[in-house]
Amino acid sequence: MAIIERPSTAPALFGDAVARPPALVTPTAAMGVFKRPVSSTGWKSWVFTVDHKKLGIMYGVVAMFFFCVGGSEALLIRLQLAAPDNTVLSADLYNQMFTMHATTMVFLFVMPMAAAFANYFLPLQIGARDVAFPRINAVGFWLFLFGGLFLNSAWFLGGAADGGWFMYSPNSSPLFSPSHGIDFWVLGLQITGIASLVGAINLIVTIINMRAPGMSLMRMPVFTWMQLVVQFLLLFAMPVITVALFLLSFQRNFGAAFFDVDKGADPLLWQHLFWIFGHPEVYIIILPSFGIVSEVLPTFARKPLFGYKFVVFSGAAIGFVGWGVWAHHMFASGLGPVSVAVFSAATMLIAIPTGVKICNWTLTLWGGKLWFTTAMNFAISVIVLFTIGGLSGVTHASAPADTQQTDTYHIVAHFHYVIVGGAVMGLFAGFYYWWPKVFAKMLSERLGKWNFWLMFFGVNLTFAPMHILGMQGQPRRMVVWPTKLTGEGFFNLGFWNKVSTLGSFTIGLGVLLFLINVVLTTKKGAKAPLDPWDARTLEWMTASPPKEHNFDSIPTVHALDEFFHRKYEEVDTDAGPRLVKVKTGEEVLAIEEAAGDSNIHLPSPSYWPIVLAFAFPVIAYGVIFNLMVSVVGALILVIALFGWVLEPSVADETDYDPPGNGNGYDPPADGSGPTKELASIG
Amino acid sequence: MIGRFAGRRYLAVAAGLGIVLAGCAKNAPQDTFQPAGSNARKIDDLQRTLFYISGVVGLIVFGFVGYAIWKFKDRGQDLPEQSHGNPKLEIMLTILPAIILAVVAVPSVAAVFELDKKDNDCVINVTGQQWWWEYDYVQGSTCGGVEITKSIVTSGELVIPADVDVLLRITSRDVIHSYWIPKLNGKRDAVPGRLHTLRMQADQPGLYTGQCTEFCGLSHARMRQAAVALTTADFQTWVTNQTAAYVAPEAGTLAATGEGTFQAQCSKCHQVNDLVTADGTPILAAPDLYVVSGAAPNLTNLMTRTAFAGWTFDLITDECRNKLWNADPADFGALYLQGVTPECYNEANLRTWLRNAPAMKPMYADPAKLAATGGKTRGMPNLNLTEDQIDQLIAYLLERK
Amino acid sequence: MAAVRPRSWRQLADITIHESAPVHVDDHSHDDHGPGGAHVTATGLSNNKMAMWLFLGSECLLFGGLISTYMLYRGRHGSGPGPAQVFDIPLTSVSSFVLLMSSLTMVLAVNAAKRDDDKNTRLWLMATALLGALFVGGQVYEFTAFYNEGLGFTTSLFSSSFFTLTGFHGVHVTLGVIMLIALAAIIGRGRISGDKAEVVEMVGLYWHFVDVVWVVIFTLVYLIPA
Repeated sequence: MAIIERPSTAPALFGDAVARPPALVTPTAAMGVFKRPVSSTGWKSWVFTVDHKKLGIMYGVVAMFFFCVGGSEALLIRLQLAAPDNTVLSADLYNQMFTMHATTMVFLFVMPMAAAFANYFLPLQIGARDVAFPRINAVGFWLFLFGGLFLNSAWFLGGAADGGWFMYSPNSSPLFSPSHGIDFWVLGLQITGIASLVGAINLIVTIINMRAPGMSLMRMPVFTWMQLVVQFLLLFAMPVITVALFLLSFQRNFGAAFFDVDKGADPLLWQHLFWIFGHPEVYIIILPSFGIVSEVLPTFARKPLFGYKFVVFSGAAIGFVGWGVWAHHMFASGLGPVSVAVFSAATMLIAIPTGVKICNWTLTLWGGKLWFTTAMNFAISVIVLFTIGGLSGVTHASAPADTQQTDTYHIVAHFHYVIVGGAVMGLFAGFYYWWPKVFAKMLSERLGKWNFWLMFFGVNLTFAPMHILGMQGQPRRMVVWPTKLTGEGFFNLGFWNKVSTLGSFTIGLGVLLFLINVVLTTKKGAKAPLDPWDARTLEWMTASPPKEHNFDSIPTVHALDEFFHRKYEEVDTDAGPRLVKVKTGEEVLAIEEAAGDSNIHLPSPSYWPIVLAFAFPVIAYGVIFNLMVSVVGALILVIALFGWVLEPSVADETDYDPPGNGNGYDPPADGSGPTKELASIG
Repeated sequence: MIGRFAGRRYLAVAAGLGIVLAGCAKNAPQDTFQPAGSNARKIDDLQRTLFYISGVVGLIVFGFVGYAIWKFKDRGQDLPEQSHGNPKLEIMLTILPAIILAVVAVPSVAAVFELDKKDNDCVINVTGQQWWWEYDYVQGSTCGGVEITKSIVTSGELVIPADVDVLLRITSRDVIHSYWIPKLNGKRDAVPGRLHTLRMQADQPGLYTGQCTEFCGLSHARMRQAAVALTTADFQTWVTNQTAAYVAPEAGTLAATGEGTFQAQCSKCHQVNDLVTADGTPILAAPDLYVVSGAAPNLTNLMTRTAFAGWTFDLITDECRNKLWNADPADFGALYLQGVTPECYNEANLRTWLRNAPAMKPMYADPAKLAATGGKTRGMPNLNLTEDQIDQLIAYLLERK
Repeated sequence: MAAVRPRSWRQLADITIHESAPVHVDDHSHDDHGPGGAHVTATGLSNNKMAMWLFLGSECLLFGGLISTYMLYRGRHGSGPGPAQVFDIPLTSVSSFVLLMSSLTMVLAVNAAKRDDDKNTRLWLMATALLGALFVGGQVYEFTAFYNEGLGFTTSLFSSSFFTLTGFHGVHVTLGVIMLIALAAIIGRGRISGDKAEVVEMVGLYWHFVDVVWVVIFTLVYLIPA
């Protein structure tokens, strides 16, 4: 992997290359101790990479690993609940299990998996060669990985967190949860929180600043739009949870009084802080999936998204109104009737933009020419399943009804329809849709269909019965549910609990099929063409997999669905104008490549993101076990920061493999060679 | 082939909804769809409406999606027109749900304020702690016209007069709990340092079960409760019994020995009202010295209740419990006021509990692990009682009616 | 058909766009680097500056959360000393003034950097760092005095939230001082990569933000009685 890629034809075609203004002189020479890594193969090319595509893949792989961890926890929970008064898990272990299941799925699977898609496809969709701050991008990934491992290391160091994922105080204070589990939880989330925050800044700047010429905001693909909204939500939501987590860890580790009721603390402070973060978090989870669905449906319906502007604005509206509804998680907390009424009404308000999305997706299908690939099936299932989740959400937007439903399995049913039915199924649509682009292999459609139907029926089997369980009085977070409260008749609560467990294993089987599909296709899958779905957006106008610099020449965008309009033209026929495919994707790409840029700047890899990220878990272990360790961690952090700032902005020209002028290309003598000056913070 | 699947899916969804409608458990004790009091009924009216509206909207959406899947599948038709939408239709589709939601919002908001009213004929203090509920009927107050002549402190079962508006004043001694009797009203959190109110009203005499619904730690699942509604006359009988003077066991009986054992082993934490030592000194329990929450259930009238230890373990046999739970409202009061009768007494539960309580219900009571609390337990520790002591205690406790 | 890549969003309107027959307008001009070395971006705003603004936006919520916590708890000092007993308004006013002055020197540093005047840039950066350090010193003195008056971190809700809020601000100032000194040193050794004036400006943005936050904290915590 040469860091600076040069299409071999470029110098010949563009004689004006030498006439361009001289690039900045880079201070490589002065920085002898801080060389940049140059490996183009092997593990080093991954560990030190700053390439958004490699980072995207790594995000995906690690998130998938945590999905399996969180999924196993879910299966254990369902096994415990399969029969009344069951003894698969002890109360203590069960409490840890549901806490970590939620934490893992939310923070270590859905969010990073959405980040995987964002990392990989945002630059491609907007016609950029990388993100705005590649090194920060890398540090985000490593923070996520280390934070996730740190969080889960609690299992082996005295037990994981056991306070439920919203960790209400004062139950989370050391008095009531004496193990280190919650310490790991707090510090682990801080670490992944930094990852989210820097990722948000990076992606916002990327989307706003690095769009290709002609890519106005209203020509951006919907996935990019939804990610933009998500990153803004993250930007403003993460600091709030950061404050809450700091308060909690100051209490747990340094004896502060924040949640000490004996000293007059108000336990509702935590609830407000948590849900001011927690409700935007719900949209952080779901909007990327909405974006994916809004890409998949038009592609396979062969028509543009119905009401693009309405979808975009409704996404933005969700982003705004999402800040004003947090207290609907607290209708039973004793807020007083005025607050409850206001938040109840605001919550209903947010159903409107969500409904707009459902309508638009349905109307996108309407009048189309539907091609039912696995990706399309997953996307359509999101419409159906999310509608169920949304409508059950309306039933508890009404505060009085919510006082019956909250903290019961009805709520569990609701948010699983939203998160699994909405977010996870959407992510799977993304897997099947974009897999050929990322890995240049077609996932087996046959296995894919099995995967889809197992997951679709599994989700319904698992979560539909929970509506009944909750409405008939089974609260959540119960390690046991006694026979005497299950009611009578064949369809008693014991029966529905068994159905639900059966469903959860069906989902598990579906996911397993996906993994098998991945393994099989990796071994002997068909080579994917660059545009297998006849898709519409820019990311498909690249090689499969995309070249390291994404685009040989930065495309100029003329329309929404740019790629589609380059392939199709309206031709007058006897029967009126008809859309006709005038070019294949390959032909479109060939035109682009023929006019490739001669001088492409890409950031060099760097040692420092992983070192910087590694400092954080060291500091965190120190906070829990011995502050001297934290000092070591802080030292690593300082060294990494200075290394970060002082490393040269490019690798030495002679360091490259193959050497810089080994491509039949001679850099201009005036020093205007292919260099890349990194921003000092990026 | 895919179209066939899609059709099946549509059928499956419809069938699924059918099952949901027909597939509820019968007679589930905590069914929110079977309200037994005015407050719960108000909520039920509201939530049924919401479910119907949601169901209809859902069916319409599924109908459209299903039809589109069937109608517009790729049959080799021309590429569709590349239309970007229809603003008029969009605006209509935005306004329509807004109207539906406005229609729903008005009664919701009205119900919020109605359910927050504080008018009542009876106030009972409810305090949550890990992992049981305590009820306190304040001396000198009246409840549905019945005068509380002497403070009544009980746990697990909230006894109220039927058809009377009761107001619960709810708080907690340690972490957040939530009080919920599904058939009578929604939940209200019990938050330490805060006082919340919750209306309770039961139309008919009967027993209505509930559960703590805010996750409160290790034994959250075993923190249950019930509301017991009695006719005013029966309630009067209950109050009279609860406030009656202490009757010591007959000298020389096993129970009399048990009284001594109780004083030695249990009365540090558990109060039995009017209990005195041999020399006549009143015994006051001081659970605040031993338990984090600073409270332990009052056992003065243990055998008037039907379950213990966070209302988790039955004091009566399954058969008697089923009879009581399903009793006709007219017969319920008499049956309940019998308390734990010899023929109904469930020996196994109480005995196992006294042998080793933390083994039966997980609690933080291991003396080796109480550094964070300065030696105080959360829940009841294992007292390492001998079988003889257990026999004595059971004999004594069985007389606490 | 080569066209110049637009430098600002407004110029995009100049590109002729043919919907039906897309004409491929290529970016072959390679003028990615403006005169100052900044990349030409879709909006014309610098990536670095936009990132800093976004970061500061996020920081607003961080301090918002901390300030809310303090406002909720400032009256809850139990038997420990309360705000009225410990606050030394004149002393804090002086250190607040010192911090405000540092914003002035920061402006001078940014101006010097824009004139490409390394000597004065470093001078004013160091002056800013010195004033910042003075402020932090004042805070350390204040904290020590409070501690001696019986107000420890764990004493009461008031003390915990006070020390957390002002401590977080102090850490921000300290990090700012370190950045200022490091920046002055790097400029001195000629090791700055990229646009020097922009880097100074970004540190300046951060510094002014920290100042503004202090104005809010000083007003809410010290001046308005609980």
